[in-house]
Formats: sequence, C-alpha cells, structure tokens
Amino acid sequence: MPIRFLLSTGLVAAALAAPAAAETVSLPDAALTSAPFETITAAARGQTVNFFLWGGDDRINAYVAGPLAATLKDRYGITLNRIGVADTAEVVNQVLSEKEAGIDAGGAVDLVWINGENFRTLKSGGLLLCGYAEGLPNARHVDWTDPSIANDFGTPVEGCEVPWSRAQFAMAYDSARTPEPPATLAAFLAWVKANPGRFTYAAPPDFNGSAFIRHVFMYAAGGPEALGGPFDQARFDAVAEKAFGILTDLEPFLWREGATYPTDIAQLNALFANSEVDFTFNYEPTVFGAGVEDGRFPPTTRSFAFDDGTLANTSYVAIPFNAAHKAAALVVANHLISPEEQLRKADPAVWGMATALDLDTLPPDAAEAFRALPRHPAVIDGEALADRAMPELSADWLDAIEAGWLRTVGR
Amino acid sequence: MTERARLVLMLAPTVALLAGLFLGGLALAALRTVGIVPLAGRFDPTAEPWARALGAPDVLASIGVTLWIASAATLVATVLGLAAALLLRRAGGGRLMTLLVQFNLTVPHVVTAVGLLWLLGQSGWIARIGHGAGLIDRPADFPVLVADPAFVAVILAYVAKEVPFVAVVTLAMLAAVGTGPAETARSLGASRWQAFRHVTWPLIRPGVLAAATVVFAFVLGTYEVPAVLGPSHPKALPVLAYQMFTSNDLADRPAAIALSLVAAAIGVACLMAVRRLMSGLPTLKVAR
Amino acid sequence: MSAVDLAATKPADVAARTGRTGIRARTARIATGALIALLLLPFVPVLLWSVTRGWFYPAILPPALDLAAWGVVGSPESGIPAAVLRSVGIALGATVLSMLIGVPAGRALGLHAFPGRRWVEALVLAPLVVPPLAVAMGLHAVFLRLGLAGTATGVMIVHLIPTLPYVVLVSASVFSRFDPRVEDQARTLGASRLQVLRHVTVPMLAPGLAVAALFAFLVSWSQYGLTLLVGGGQVPTMPLILNQYVTAGRSDVAAAIALLTVLPGLVALVLSARILARASRRDGEGGR
Repeated sequence: MPIRFLLSTGLVAAALAAPAAAETVSLPDAALTSAPFETITAAARGQTVNFFLWGGDDRINAYVAGPLAATLKDRYGITLNRIGVADTAEVVNQVLSEKEAGIDAGGAVDLVWINGENFRTLKSGGLLLCGYAEGLPNARHVDWTDPSIANDFGTPVEGCEVPWSRAQFAMAYDSARTPEPPATLAAFLAWVKANPGRFTYAAPPDFNGSAFIRHVFMYAAGGPEALGGPFDQARFDAVAEKAFGILTDLEPFLWREGATYPTDIAQLNALFANSEVDFTFNYEPTVFGAGVEDGRFPPTTRSFAFDDGTLANTSYVAIPFNAAHKAAALVVANHLISPEEQLRKADPAVWGMATALDLDTLPPDAAEAFRALPRHPAVIDGEALADRAMPELSADWLDAIEAGWLRTVGR
Repeated sequence: MTERARLVLMLAPTVALLAGLFLGGLALAALRTVGIVPLAGRFDPTAEPWARALGAPDVLASIGVTLWIASAATLVATVLGLAAALLLRRAGGGRLMTLLVQFNLTVPHVVTAVGLLWLLGQSGWIARIGHGAGLIDRPADFPVLVADPAFVAVILAYVAKEVPFVAVVTLAMLAAVGTGPAETARSLGASRWQAFRHVTWPLIRPGVLAAATVVFAFVLGTYEVPAVLGPSHPKALPVLAYQMFTSNDLADRPAAIALSLVAAAIGVACLMAVRRLMSGLPTLKVAR
Repeated sequence: MSAVDLAATKPADVAARTGRTGIRARTARIATGALIALLLLPFVPVLLWSVTRGWFYPAILPPALDLAAWGVVGSPESGIPAAVLRSVGIALGATVLSMLIGVPAGRALGLHAFPGRRWVEALVLAPLVVPPLAVAMGLHAVFLRLGLAGTATGVMIVHLIPTLPYVVLVSASVFSRFDPRVEDQARTLGASRLQVLRHVTVPMLAPGLAVAALFAFLVSWSQYGLTLLVGGGQVPTMPLILNQYVTAGRSDVAAAIALLTVLPGLVALVLSARILARASRRDGEGGR
C-alpha cells in the first residue's frame, strides 16, 4: 500500500507541478516597435493578455471583463484576462521578483495600469518595454507635448507607457451636514481647528492620503512652482519643517486626536459616510458619483476643489520587459486610446474616468460627444476642476514626503 | 519488504515535503537576510538587512504590540475555551450547542475580522444600538475598540476564532481522562472545585497549555486580522513585514524577511515549549 | 476535530447522582448559550450588510432590502464565481495531496515506535507553531523559478505546509486506536490484500480520516498570508477577494462574499459531526 501511495502521490504531484508549456513569442522586441501595426495585430491574434489592475471597484471590473474584453475578442481575437490586485505595488513586486529570479521572458504580467512611483520603479530598473507608445496608430490623438502627459509624477514617460485616463484630486462633503465647504486650503485648515474631531486623512502609503499631504506641502511652499523639478534635499528640508509643522499642529483637532489615522481611503470613506468625519477626498472624483449609486456615500454627497488648486495626474498602461504576450498587449494598449473606447470609458454609466486624449485632435462631433457626457450631481464639474489643476510632484519628492510624514507626524 | 523499509516509505513523503518546503523555505529566507541567494548564485554576506529591519521606524513597538496581542488573545481564549468546554459538558452538551461553539473554527480569520469591524467600530452596530437607546449621541462618544492603541478588536477577533479551538482540545482531553478520577475525588469528600483543581486540571493541563501555545504562535504570524482592525501605527509585525516585502525598494525585501524571521524565532521557542508539554503527557491524542 | 460528539458523552449520569443537577445543567446551558451568542455576534452585521446598501450610522436596521451585492457575487465579470471554483479546486487539491502524503506517515506515527520519532514529530508540529510568513518569503524566489509563483498550483503546494501537519496528526491518532492485527486475521481467513483494504481497513478508519480530510480542506480554504505571498495577488481565492472588496469600501459585496466563504466550513462541520455520530453509533452496536 505505501508503494502505491507513493507512486500515485508522485504522479499527481508531478502532473500538477509541471508548469504549463510556455507560449512562443513570435516577434522580437525590436520588431514590435518597428513593424507595421498590421503585422503586430496578426501576431496578436489568439493571444491572451494578462491585464493587471486594481480590482476593488466593480464598475471597473465589469467594464474591463465585460464590454472591453468582448470588443477585443471580436475585433482582434485577443482574450483579455483581467487580474484584479489589491495594490499596484503587488504587480511591481511581481515583475521585480521575476527579474531577480532571472525570468527574462514569459513573465506573468502583459499589461498593467500604473503611474507614479510604481512606474518610476519599473522604468528605472529597465523593466518596461519602451519606445513603442508614440508609434501606436491611435497615439495621434494624444498630445505628447503636454507636460502632464509627457511626465508621470516627474518621471519622463519616454514611450514606456501609454496614457489611459486623467484624474484630479477633489474634496467631498455632505451638503446635508456642511452647507458651505471652505473654498481654500487655508480656510479648510481653519475649519478643521474650529470643528475638532471632524476630519482626518488616510495615512501614507495610501495613495489618496499621501496626495492630501502633498497639498499641504504645496500650500506650505507657497505653490507648486516652489517644489517643481527634481528632488532637492535642501528645498525639501525647508518646506518639510513648515508643512509637517502644520500637520502636527492639526493633530489634536483630528478624528481620534490624530492618535491613529485611517489606513486606507475606504476607511476614510466609511468614516465620512457614517458621519464620523465631515470630509473625504479622492484623486478620482467620479468615485463620489459611483459611491452614491452603490451605497458607499450618502445621496447628498457633493464635491469641490480648493481655489488654490488641486493635483492632477495621468494614469497609463505599461508592458513589462518580460511580458509573455507583447504583441497582443500592444494591440490592447492601442485600442484603449481609440476615441471610441475612451468615450465609452468616460461615460459615468460605464466608469466615468476622464479621457487622456487631446480632444482638439478629434473630429468636432467626436470631441462634442466627450463634452456632452452626463455628470453625476455628486461629481464636481470637469471644467471647474480643470481650471484648478496643479502638476504633480516628482516621485522622489513623493517618497521623501511620505517617509518624512511617517517619521514626524504619523507616530 | 522489511518492517523498517515500510516505515521509511510511509514517512518519507511527509518528511521530504516538510523538510523541503518548510525547512528549505526557512533556510532560504534566513540566507537571504545575510545576502546569500543560492538560486541566483549571489554570495555577498552582509548584515545590512538586519540593520535595516531593526532600524525601521517603530519596529520595536511593532514587536511589542505583537507580543501583547498574542499574550492577551491567548490568555482570554484559553480561559474562555476551557470554560466553554466545562460548561458544554455540564450542560449535557446537545449536538447543536457543540456545533455552534465550534462554528468559528471553520470561519476564515478575515471574515471574523470584518464582522468585528462592523460590530465594534465607533459607528458600528453596537454603537448604533447605543445611539438608539440614547446612550450615545455621536460615534465619537462610543468607546474606541477598533484601530485602538490596545488592539482590543484585534484581540477579540482572535478570541472569537480560538475559543472553539481551545474548547475542542479541552473536550478531547476531558474525554480521554474520563469522569472517573473526579468522581473518585468527590466520593472522598472533595468539593466540585477541589476535584477539578486538584484532580482533573492536572490531567488536562498539558493539552490545554499545548493548545494555548499553538494559539500564541498562530497569532504571532497572522496578517489579515491586524491589517483589517489595527491602527495606522504601530503595526503588528506581520503587517509591517508584508508592507516592507512589497515595498518599491528592493533593499527592503531581505529586511522584511528578517522581521518575519523574528516572528518565526518566537514560534520556534513555542515549538520547544509544546514538545516539553506534550512529553509531559505521552498519551495525548490529538483528535480524541 | 472529533470533539463534535465528545461533549455528548453524557455527564448526565454524573449529574444523576448530585440531585441539584437540573438547575446546574440549566445554568450551564444558559452560560454556554451566552458564550455562543457572543461568538456568533460578529455575523449579525455581516448577514444584514449582505442584503442592503447605503446603511449608515445611526440606522440600527438596514434602510431597505437590496440584493445588488448578490448580483455582483454572481456575475462572471466580478471574477467571484471563478474565485469560488479556484478556492474549491485549490482546497480539494491540497486535501487530496496531503491525505496521500500524510496518512501513511500518520499510520507510521500512530502504530510504530522507531528511532528518530521525536524528530519526525517535531517536524510535523513545526509548521503549526512557526509563523509561515518567513517560509513563504523564502520559497517565493524558488517558486518563481519553477513557474509556480502566481499560479493556483503553486498556491496549492504551499498550502500543504499547514494542511499536511493536521492530516498527519489527526490520522496518527486515528491509527493509534486501530489494531492492525485485524488485517492479519482477515488475511489468515483468506482475504486478498485488496479485500482487506476494502472491507476491513477502510471501513474502520474512514470516519477518522474523513475528519482529517475535512480539516485539511478548511485549513487550505481559509489561508490568507500564504496565498497572498506565493500567489502574488494573481491567485485571488475567496479570502483575498473578500479583502479586496473590504479595502474598496463595498461592505455589501464584502458581506455577501463573507457568507459565501463561511458556507463550506459550515457544511464540513455538519458533515464531520454526522460522520462521527455514525461512527460512534456503529462502535456502540459493535459492542464494547
């Protein structure tokens, strides 16, 4: 009996452990960036793209796995495999680990939704396919000279990723509780002190909480210009003292007197929804509309932006250096920036995230279709928001600010 | 086939698998924290990861709170688990009751954590009942139990999960001991409490303590409960280690492994304790 | 664990002699009931959240019935139906493998004394008390090399680390109550090896081994940390999907997933209770 046990164990284990035979990559990297797109499309047919993206929003999940995947299948014969992750850092970690383990081809990630420090990490490690982005057929609808497209949190994009969406930070309040929200950051800080316990922000490394802290940094520095360009320790130190001073002074007036902070934006949203605090914020204001619809926010939720300006960024899709299905990933990236797909994604009924395209490059009626998209009452008007856009800091500034906050305020 | 060969064949798969996966994984982890990566052929001995791990902000506080959570959860779960087992026996333990006590044993930790979040938060279900009863006015009036410095909700989540475990082990011990010894003591004039304290308890103690040790060690290494219910700082050791492991900075990774080895080292100490306890009772049967 | 029927081993006969048992048993029942209520309390908000949305402080009861969460859970786009299948597949695979590997070892440990036995015991106990974080971090690179990281197969293999010890320990205790001489007797009476296995060994051991298997299934089903690390987020099992929706603030969907995640455990518990009840009935009929 033991022998039979052993044999069957061994067989089952071997059968299960054998890694699936690696699919062949038909085009070398050089060909991918130079070949006519028809060649790439032909090579892509029948491939599966493992698309890694944050998986916590069922609107996004439904859009990607539903209509987007169906279109790609119909039109290009590509199977889109949505892989939801809790944090994009997990994807970066995957690619880094593969690099470390010497896996230079056949990697798990074909396409990833990315920006900021995650992009910087992969790009600086030479872990992305580069040089193709501006050559994609639909890239003509993108304004590559726009600094907010050409730089991703201060890191030059240089053809290593394809812009997918734009986002801009906004604050949310409940109009039933707070009829008149403060219009500037200075007024807001005064409001917090006048209403103890009614505000807090999510602690870094939460993406949104970190963005709120950067607003205070910009306020302390006297505007975004003071923090532009590459990281500079002396400039950082000068501003940090003032900015962290403001945040430390604020602590006694925060929820739980600043003894603890929400560890992610969902916790802050829940505090807001349950009247524990009176504000929340998000880098993607369409979340407020979706949140009202799916029961995360009260129906009287409204959003606004500080008159001093709020940070704006672009998010992208990128292809790792060792992606197993690069041709298909290129086709998907190209399709994502087609006017038709961008319009569908910008529709609040589908997802609602703002387009990354330059509307001036589109035929007038196509551009008009974008402008005519409906807006949820909880979501701030796009033009009002765009008027207040401030460029993001570079990723190095971002790291230094997060680390500084953890050292000084967050303990 | 000789008896000896048969034994070797029966044991070999388990030993090979555990030695390979478990000990192997542990060894690779340890090597990596000193700059040795056999697979990649890297050999740069260094103590930097350990310096980085132990120099991370709040790391000592993290170790401290982790030990606090584990001690408190173990103590409460053991006492309540023991009580539950004794009560179940006294109550004549209907099958349904026993089943209900055991229910949490089958519930994933993350579910319990989420349930407690909705139950005990300052705007949670109990707080709402408090509001309905006119006891509190605003969420802030409700006691801070979630994301609090004492990790109350974290500890309660482990208690809810581990009381059934301790109860099940205790019931098994009680069944193994039988009612004979206690009855003899009673017939000799001992009170109920005396019979338990001086006769039954010494007999079941090794098993109960072994269960307690397993609980303690388990709590040391669990990520999801403090991740859902813990405060922003200090973080429990597994949360801190996982955050460092997935950090953008590759150099953080060996440091994260070093931190998790600290938890493992405490676990090894527990293992030795368990073995001493188990050898104190050679007839312990795990299941019955 | 097989304590399901332990509490039912009637302390009533003890009680019959003390006279005041009725009251004491009732007190014990009330206390047990209270403890059960406390243990199960976290599931109240989970149940309520799964059938509503937009349920804010200070509402004690949900504002309206809304089954949208179950729509999300059932829709293929959410990936949840696939995650259920994935979780079941991984847990079944881990169960089958750990039974195949672990039961022979359990037999060896349960029936035989041999040199080095203490070391084997220690190796089997170790994964239960040494937090698995470091082990998983150490294995990560190896699994990547083998193409196992980020795959369901890799996750299933790493789940063997916690499932195998349970199988070995439970089956060891099952075998320790098994008299292998009955096998020899059957052989002497002319039964073939296969017939002995089929008509003697398996029927006698089946209930205990079924419990071991159920245990392995549940341990794998509930895994969080190991799945997260070795799966690299790409093998979303139910506990991981649940956390994803918690961190997205979708309490309604998270609650529905939580209930779905609890279900197999509940089924397993009821099943094991029935198996053991049947076994103890048969033991009773067989005469002691």
